[in-house]
Amino acid sequence: MKALAAALLVFVAACGQGKAIFNVNVYSFIAGTGKDTVPYIIPPSSSASGSTVQKINLPPGFGSSIVDSVRITNGSANLLTTSGSGRIGFQLYVAADSAGTYNAGALALNLPDTAVSAGPPISVAISGDLSTAVHTVFTQPTVWVRLVANGSNPNALPVTGLQGKMILTALTIRVVVEDKIF
Amino acid sequence: MRTGVVAVALALLVLAPLLPRQARAQFSFDARRYGMGGVSLSRDGNARRFNPAYRALKTHGETTGTPKFSIPVPIGLIKFFKDHPISQLSHDPMFDPKSTSFNPFELTNLIFNPPIFYEVKKSPTPTNNVEFTVGKNQLILNLGGSRVLIPEQEFGLGTTSRLFDAGAGFGGFHVGVMGFLQYDVAFSLDSALRRALTDTVTGVRPGDTLSLLSDAIAQAGLAPTVSFAGRLTHGADPASDDGLYLGGAVHYYLGATYGRLTGPAQIQVGNPIFGTKPAVALADTLRTSNQHNGKGVGGDVGLVWVSGPFEVGVGVNDIGAELTWSDTKVQDVSYITTTGKLVTTIDTNHVETKTKLPVTYMANAALRMGTGTTVGGDVVNSGRGTVIHVGVEQRTGPFALRGGVSRDQRKKMQFGFGGGLRLGPIGLDVGFFTHSNSLSTQRAITMATAISIY
Repeated sequence: MKALAAALLVFVAACGQGKAIFNVNVYSFIAGTGKDTVPYIIPPSSSASGSTVQKINLPPGFGSSIVDSVRITNGSANLLTTSGSGRIGFQLYVAADSAGTYNAGALALNLPDTAVSAGPPISVAISGDLSTAVHTVFTQPTVWVRLVANGSNPNALPVTGLQGKMILTALTIRVVVEDKIF
Repeated sequence: MRTGVVAVALALLVLAPLLPRQARAQFSFDARRYGMGGVSLSRDGNARRFNPAYRALKTHGETTGTPKFSIPVPIGLIKFFKDHPISQLSHDPMFDPKSTSFNPFELTNLIFNPPIFYEVKKSPTPTNNVEFTVGKNQLILNLGGSRVLIPEQEFGLGTTSRLFDAGAGFGGFHVGVMGFLQYDVAFSLDSALRRALTDTVTGVRPGDTLSLLSDAIAQAGLAPTVSFAGRLTHGADPASDDGLYLGGAVHYYLGATYGRLTGPAQIQVGNPIFGTKPAVALADTLRTSNQHNGKGVGGDVGLVWVSGPFEVGVGVNDIGAELTWSDTKVQDVSYITTTGKLVTTIDTNHVETKTKLPVTYMANAALRMGTGTTVGGDVVNSGRGTVIHVGVEQRTGPFALRGGVSRDQRKKMQFGFGGGLRLGPIGLDVGFFTHSNSLSTQRAITMATAISIY
């Protein structure tokens, strides 16, 4: 893919000054792999999280570019709780490699908790600007993302644990960079 | 290093008018000509380069109003060096691809439009956002306004030049040597690649084969030439120019170097697009000369008819010009995906190859009225597309008023107008002309200024 994108960028390079905008459909890389589902099991009176990691390919050649902004333009997930109740939050980590997504500094987006309880799925909108600390990662041809369902179960025993899964249904990231190719 | 290259290039541009007349035909600095939409009403320059019959005609007759030579007044260079000081050229953003302000468009415009003359209205540099839509099985490019620059047909550049033409003659005969240079670089995008660059709905399809087809040739050498130009008939007054003139030239081409690269560069898109590795293919053929031994014969022919104020001519060059290179090699150029390197392997060596010089031509006509009005036009093909110029000049005392239109190689109409003031042997000419020979869809306007010596 690198060669294809690089070849196309030769033409793009001839388009003068401007900005390069990437609308990256992260969900398309995750859908069907099973990684679009993040299970959560949170014992009573505790907090816990579950996560999945996915690699995303971007056109190469923007290594020397300056990232203007990174924003989630379309994102949503369903929180399907099968037992218990509590609160579930969504976090997105971004890094240049898989292991890096587990670093605290890779936290790109942290959405407020949503109250959940056993029953029909609750749709949660995912949106917002990603942390500037991770902007430079998006100039690289490979980006790793980690989706985290971070929850808390305030209920004490003998109430059952909070159990369910977060199912990603859409995630598109818009990356705007200064058009400085190669 | 970069400073030196730029300085030398600019120096050459300034010195170009001082080169032999035949070379000047390739790069006109004649403000009069620009003011008339590009038409040349004189009997030198383009007329003599394309039509050997013009050797038999007087060049600088007072009737033609043609100066002996023109010296360009490079007002454009003053502004250029003000904007781009020589001492800072080495890190000038215009020439530094590493600079965030570097814009390939501006540099291309500079190459196509050397800043000799003053740019009244610059060709705007396209600056727009480029948008990618990236998914596992989706890649769409939206080039915005620059999308119109993606060519629908073959594109490229090329010309046949006669770099110099030196020699001497007696009677109607002329013996000399000319230098020739012919190059043509042509690219074409196949439908899949065009769609990838222009279609903002589908974009790249999984499994697509994107091809860029190229055919580039260059050859150069010397050509000893014997030519003849004479008057076949004359009018009632033999002292006048009236009559029919015939000219012909035979060239013995001695090719010094030759190279040709043909073939496609292809990318086989994976399926899904981002899930599998695409295959890159480069299967080009490179032909080059081993020795400076291209040989061939070709000729020029031309006719000019003058009747009072009316003059018409037609000249055709390099007729039957086929060069035989007895010692060439054919190499395969391929791209090795695993190493990411280009590899060249000899397919056959010491083989004979034949090349042709394209036939070029010019037809021209001029009507010189006794009222000081001269109307003219020409059709020129120097190897890549036909250019048409039509212009008029009105002389009243020391003043001259000029105007004209042309159709350029891109089949786009261009316009010119200007004027001049002649004081004895010296004249000052100004010509405004539009042009689109830059990477833009809009016209630019340039003001050419020159001092003419009569």
